[in-house]
Amino acid sequence: MANPMTQFNVHRIGPEIKVGTFDISFTNASLFMIISSVAILIIFNLGSKKNSLIPNKIQLLAELSYTFVSKMISDTAGLKAKPYFAFIFSLFMFVLFCNMFGMIPYTFTVTSHIIVTFMLAAFIFIGVTVIGFMKHGFGYLKLFVPSGVPAVLLPLIVVIEIISYLSRPISLSVRLFANMMAGHTMMKVFGGFVISLGIVGGWLPLSFSVALTGLEILVAFLQAYVFAILTCIYLNDALNLHH
Amino acid sequence: MPKDPLKTRLEIAKSKILRKNLYNKKDNPSSIGTAFKLSTELVSAVAVGTIIGFIFDKTFGTKPWFILIFFFVGVVAGITNVIRSAKNMQK
Repeated sequence: MANPMTQFNVHRIGPEIKVGTFDISFTNASLFMIISSVAILIIFNLGSKKNSLIPNKIQLLAELSYTFVSKMISDTAGLKAKPYFAFIFSLFMFVLFCNMFGMIPYTFTVTSHIIVTFMLAAFIFIGVTVIGFMKHGFGYLKLFVPSGVPAVLLPLIVVIEIISYLSRPISLSVRLFANMMAGHTMMKVFGGFVISLGIVGGWLPLSFSVALTGLEILVAFLQAYVFAILTCIYLNDALNLHH
Repeated sequence: MPKDPLKTRLEIAKSKILRKNLYNKKDNPSSIGTAFKLSTELVSAVAVGTIIGFIFDKTFGTKPWFILIFFFVGVVAGITNVIRSAKNMQK
């Protein structure tokens, strides 16, 4: 039976490029990042080319995703978050397309690697912290001091709040990575069962496989959505300090 | 003027959407999204607490103590995280 983890192997495409001690060669991960970015660019360029009142399919897709993200931002972070629309929209689209391209057989799922999701999450975390300090100055530190806490408990509460603040990028990245990796491993394992049980017993794992594929497409969309909505929630904390 | 009927129709549609959103707030996709959220919220705070404890232990050479304290502080932080997001879900 094929090893279910080989699908996550990163391998080099083309020549080896080294800068100092860092290996920055072009890999299959970079290839699929580029493919998803280019796909997004093509779809949205085609979608916004002709502004007809009655939209064609691509324009409908572009407009639907626009209103979806714009509604998500205004629901969770309010009107103040409008300037950050472009960032959240591209983030959502990038994660969504990476997840969805991973659903095509023989492709590579970029978001099933923790380093990719952690870089996205760390970027969001640092960005949100910088925005918070820019908007509120040192008053942003009030986020760690909830109101109405007795002075005796204050040191403990502050430590707890700091830990819960620092846990944001970890939970954000681990959630996306774990969901994608677990789902793809499971699909591979059930696919392996189909082969090893053959024509007699292979039908049950095959039906599981079909059901799992549907579930994985749901998860792929949902995790992109959760990633974007949590970014909005963190942005909301930074913009509207209400502790 | 062909524009005015369109305007009134737009307004009617907008008010309909607004009413729809008020009534079935339960039906939005974020409810299943927040369910996914809760599980990692707990674990990540514990992990961060333990890592901070480990770093303190390494720098001060007080081997088991900080890791023990910060592990439990991390558990508390995780539980407050979960309670907080559960409260947000009910809003």
